[in-house]
Amino acid sequence: MGKAYRLLYDENACIGCQACSVACRVEHGVPEDFFRLQVRMELKGVFPRLGMSYERMACVMCEDAPCVSVCPTFASFQDKDGLVHIDERVCITCKYCILACPYHARFINPLKNVVEKCDFCYESRVSKALLPVCVSICPTEALMFGDMNEHDSLVYETSHKEALIFPKAHLKTKPKVAFLPKRKGMKS
Amino acid sequence: MLFAQNRRDFLKIATATPFVPGSLGAMGELALCCEDKSIRSMCEMCSSRCPMEARVVNGKVVALQGNAYDKAMGTSLCARGVAGISQLYDEQRLTQPLIRVGKRGENKWRVVSLEEALEYIATKLNHLKKTYGARSVIFSSKTGESYDMLRSFAYAFGSPNVFSHWSSCPIAIESAFEHTVGETMHRDFENANYILNFGHNLFEGLDIPLTKAMARFASNPSKKLVVFDPRFSLMASKANEWYPIKAGSDLAFVLSLLHVWIRDGKYDKNFVQHYTIGFDKLEKALKESTPQWQERLTGIEAKVVERIADEVYQAAPRCIIDWGHKATTAPSEYQRSRAILIANILMGNVEKRGGIYFPKSAKCINAISFDEIIPTLNEAYPRIFPNEERLDGAGQHGSYVFVPKEHGVLQAIPEAILSQEPYTIKGWFLTRHNPLITLAHPQKMKEAMQNLEFIVVNDIYLSDTAMMADVVLPEATYLERDEGIRDQSDKVPCYTMRNRVIPSLHGTKSALEILRSLAQKLGVDHNYRWDTMAKLRVHQAKGNDAFLEVLLRRGVATFGIPELFLRESKDVERFVEHYPKSKALLCKEGCFSHFFHTLQTPSGKIEIFCEKVEKIFEGYGLPCAVDMDVTQGYPYVLTSGKSAIHTNGHTHNVPYLHQLMSDNPIWMHPQTAKVHGLKMGDTFYVENGISKEKATVFITEGIRPDTLFAYMGFGRDAPSLKRAHGKGLNPSKLLSLRSAPVCGSMITNVGVKITKV
Repeated sequence: MGKAYRLLYDENACIGCQACSVACRVEHGVPEDFFRLQVRMELKGVFPRLGMSYERMACVMCEDAPCVSVCPTFASFQDKDGLVHIDERVCITCKYCILACPYHARFINPLKNVVEKCDFCYESRVSKALLPVCVSICPTEALMFGDMNEHDSLVYETSHKEALIFPKAHLKTKPKVAFLPKRKGMKS
Repeated sequence: MLFAQNRRDFLKIATATPFVPGSLGAMGELALCCEDKSIRSMCEMCSSRCPMEARVVNGKVVALQGNAYDKAMGTSLCARGVAGISQLYDEQRLTQPLIRVGKRGENKWRVVSLEEALEYIATKLNHLKKTYGARSVIFSSKTGESYDMLRSFAYAFGSPNVFSHWSSCPIAIESAFEHTVGETMHRDFENANYILNFGHNLFEGLDIPLTKAMARFASNPSKKLVVFDPRFSLMASKANEWYPIKAGSDLAFVLSLLHVWIRDGKYDKNFVQHYTIGFDKLEKALKESTPQWQERLTGIEAKVVERIADEVYQAAPRCIIDWGHKATTAPSEYQRSRAILIANILMGNVEKRGGIYFPKSAKCINAISFDEIIPTLNEAYPRIFPNEERLDGAGQHGSYVFVPKEHGVLQAIPEAILSQEPYTIKGWFLTRHNPLITLAHPQKMKEAMQNLEFIVVNDIYLSDTAMMADVVLPEATYLERDEGIRDQSDKVPCYTMRNRVIPSLHGTKSALEILRSLAQKLGVDHNYRWDTMAKLRVHQAKGNDAFLEVLLRRGVATFGIPELFLRESKDVERFVEHYPKSKALLCKEGCFSHFFHTLQTPSGKIEIFCEKVEKIFEGYGLPCAVDMDVTQGYPYVLTSGKSAIHTNGHTHNVPYLHQLMSDNPIWMHPQTAKVHGLKMGDTFYVENGISKEKATVFITEGIRPDTLFAYMGFGRDAPSLKRAHGKGLNPSKLLSLRSAPVCGSMITNVGVKITKV
């Protein structure tokens, strides 16, 4: 049986410190001023009734992935576990996928001249039974990662305990990333 | 004791062969010859000293993460910690010693060898000593290993004028501890049920174990966090309630909280009666500090105080009134810190889970167990205070008599240099210290520095302060140096050790090595029992090589001691089971309460009233409503604080961090911006009697209309910091060198006006 990977992002625990973003840069040599992963924060409301939303911005690993279906050279593809990857050898940087991605997760790496995005650290870590680096480094344990087919996994247990939000669920892309929305403070 | 023969064997391992502690090695595989290894050490991208692990592949550091041998860390590390790699390999780092050739501050240098630099320093220091006396040389450092060594060096040289960063950071709360309970206390955030937070921004001033505990607390829907801060900080965004309290007025809120508890008899009467002195005086002193009284000062409604007072009391003792870390807000800082500490004491949360506690060091645990179960350290940095008057009188006489003489008051330095009072000051040796960014009124400090004959700066970058030096020593970064063993005990005894991750890239040395060589050159090293890092460690560990091996392999040593809160009977019961001799200390409630009769205060008890302070500073022996004004008649208050991306005066030029945050536009409420006709990104002047500085505006709802906010550490004036140079505002430039009464703390909330460019 293939893996049913899931990455959970807990907005309650995330403090927007960008440790995940820097660790991702180190792990993948992401070039200056580009990001595979960022946490964006947005202040909402009017003084003194304020709230802050925290949002993880990165590839959400769609099951029904627009970037894969628009790719003319099959550079964007899904592996046996449904993870979306980019075959750098055949990417022609036509940017179709960048336009098609509703999550703004892709960019052109100017050093390599190929499209790049988060790959859940598949090659460097997950395939070696390590956690993605953002999950491992997070100072506040706001990220969880695991296999939904394993019923004793933290992601399985949390997914069945908490109300999850799938980003832009209305687009029916069926992401493997889900958010735990915030419980305290002003609702955004 | 394995001392005699094994010591030699140990030295062989530690100095001759590349001893590689690592995960693979720990698993017993053939890791020692492998190109891919992990080394556990300690971070230094800020001052939190988080245990960390470096992965080194073919001699290159490829990743940094938390050291999971420390359970409170796991593999977590913050952005700054992870970015340590980009600091290590930054081509803008200092790599060679420099001697000034132009005018002071002109940035003209001659590259010299380390040997030449050290010879030159030794000659100049000897000259100053002969001409003006050893006390004419100041020594300053951020606390830590380099500070311990610098203090030892300075005292051996003969100067009493040692300064740490304390007066610009935690000195108010440290004084409050000393005067109230006799030693530093910690907070058990994770197990608390209710926390009142007065601007202690653990989500931007990160310390991984503390931040993690606070995040677990704050994200738990059954717990309550109330934040008081003029600014909507990230902490505030995670709170159940946020009150935009007026800058400088925390003290008024806490006093009225105390008033309500005492008025209603809602405090731990048993604890107060048995273990404290001076409660009756407090009761009288707070008669007028009503919730209505504080409304005008804090801007918080009286009914909020009443409700919160009741909620905290209901949660007690699993509640914390949090005192913060860098507590330099207002002139009332000493009173504020004392009032907060006393609020905790009234709630009876001392030595309770989810409350506040004394760190359980080896000495403490050994004393309770009547046994030597945890190794203790030999002193590696001998320090005999020279019988001399300090330039600020710290710990001796005058306004700073209650400031520890080991730490001093940095704000007193410029005036002492310029006036030559109480005596001539002609030299300054700084290591890991950048006062031209982190200290009030750098303009005045620069002027004072121009009057010095000799300045040495040891740093990894050619910082703003290094620019003013005669000799700049390039330090090895924390990833390139070995250090001694450090006591980092918290809930349980714990030692950590910084282990070199890779050999120094540019042949640079550590502050410890540099100062040890200098001590030898000056002939003041006869008290040191070591001359290399390996020998220093062996000396500290008393030759216990099993203990040292754990620290070499794991970077952290704990000893399987169960958590012990002295007033939690279950903890005490378990401890007595493990260590039966400790039974002798049991009180009738089944706790170790004897401890509260033998505190290091004059009375041995918790001192709500502090007689020795009252004698010299009349009215300051009890918390009372003083020194809360931070406006000095100006319409706005400029405040400053930390971010999760940068550290004080240190990281702003580190490539990965500069990329994330390169500037600090000043936070301003839209209403205020409108009054002054400012739009997002406009430039304006922020001005007071001390300076007039150009800044750009960041308009946000997240701040009081009468308050401005700047992230600290920006506005660098050092061309060698090519990325950070000239970006943003250094808020220190608007601060006065005035200090808070009693504790000598710098004051970072300051009155300003806004004028258009």
